[in-house]
Amino acid sequence: MTTRGDIETLIARTALRDRTAFAALYDATSGKLLAVCHSVLKDRQEAEDTLQEVFLRVWNKADRYAVTGHSPMTWLITVARNIAIDRLRARQKAQTGKVGSETDVLPDTRPGPEAATIAASESRRIVACLRELPGDRANAVRGAYLEGKSYSDLAARFDVPLNTMRTWLRRSLQSLRECMSR
Amino acid sequence: MSADLPEMPDDDDDLMAGEYVLRLLSPDIERAMDRRVIDDPVFAARVRDWEARLAPMADELEDIPPAAQTRRALLTTLGGAPASTTRRWWLGTGLGLATLAALVVISPIPSLLQGPEFGAQIASTDGTLRFDATVTGDELVLARLEGGPRPGRALELWLIADGAPAPVSLGVLPETDSARIALSPDLVAQLTGAALAVSDEPPGGSPTGAPTGEVLAAAALIAL
Repeated sequence: MTTRGDIETLIARTALRDRTAFAALYDATSGKLLAVCHSVLKDRQEAEDTLQEVFLRVWNKADRYAVTGHSPMTWLITVARNIAIDRLRARQKAQTGKVGSETDVLPDTRPGPEAATIAASESRRIVACLRELPGDRANAVRGAYLEGKSYSDLAARFDVPLNTMRTWLRRSLQSLRECMSR
Repeated sequence: MSADLPEMPDDDDDLMAGEYVLRLLSPDIERAMDRRVIDDPVFAARVRDWEARLAPMADELEDIPPAAQTRRALLTTLGGAPASTTRRWWLGTGLGLATLAALVVISPIPSLLQGPEFGAQIASTDGTLRFDATVTGDELVLARLEGGPRPGRALELWLIADGAPAPVSLGVLPETDSARIALSPDLVAQLTGAALAVSDEPPGGSPTGAPTGEVLAAAALIAL
């Protein structure tokens, strides 16, 4: 296991263009980040391609990591997920001519401090809080976060009107926020 | 998605930040929020909070080890020679040397580069002992970043060559923050696929020529 401190050090050294550190960062985190990409894209090859893009972004933006105030895995997962969803939207747009989304959505210039870590306790916390939601509501949140589903995808999947889905999601977010602040 | 703002209007901005993080907003609104994140620190903080709250959901996903090809392509893109195939960055107290040897055997090395250079970041699992090693030519430079020997004990550095039957001692580490170690041509020839390890030993080093104490930290040498 690589600790949070190890990964933080590797990101800091990557920012200094240390290729050893970057390769080590890749070895320590690429399994999780590929899982994130694959969960969104459902296509192994596209997920691997996306993973490369993710790590190029990490190489180029490692110096911005500190200002996000995030734990290292939160930052890496957020970067990976956003790039994967960009790809997914672009693919959907190409297929249907319908709504896509910007390719450069992850704002890298977030100022300020604050934020949490993915410690084991944190992870158990959201899992526990998701469990407090009715099953389909929790699965809707999972579909949005882990699979990058849109409101209309989710409405179709759970067979409810769009506005109902939006209400579900927003109420779920409120419950999660409340539960996690306990 | 032109849904009207529902219940709890004072809460709306935070929920909007949550929807933004989930990527549920329509492209137009998402673009507007991209700008807001840059211009509005309060909104940006809400976004960060949601990112931090939600990211642990990824722990539900089983890791998927990427293809070796992906690593090679990535490192090649960065403008250097590929290091090796799926070399794991592993760290470990309690990792037996047999395990070490088994791990490093995995990698048949694609031929590399002009001016071989290797690096390794050797760290204990708890991060209290950390070294940075680089090899240039026949010289290994070891910088101590964190930690030191236990009271009344010494630290000894070992090279575990790919397929070698036993680790080779590179010497007891001095008290200083960095050490320069000259490698024999024989050892230089064995660096590809090798690993470095640091063990806890009695003062003066292992009396047997093999590690006798706990392996405190280890790492594969990565070709750069």
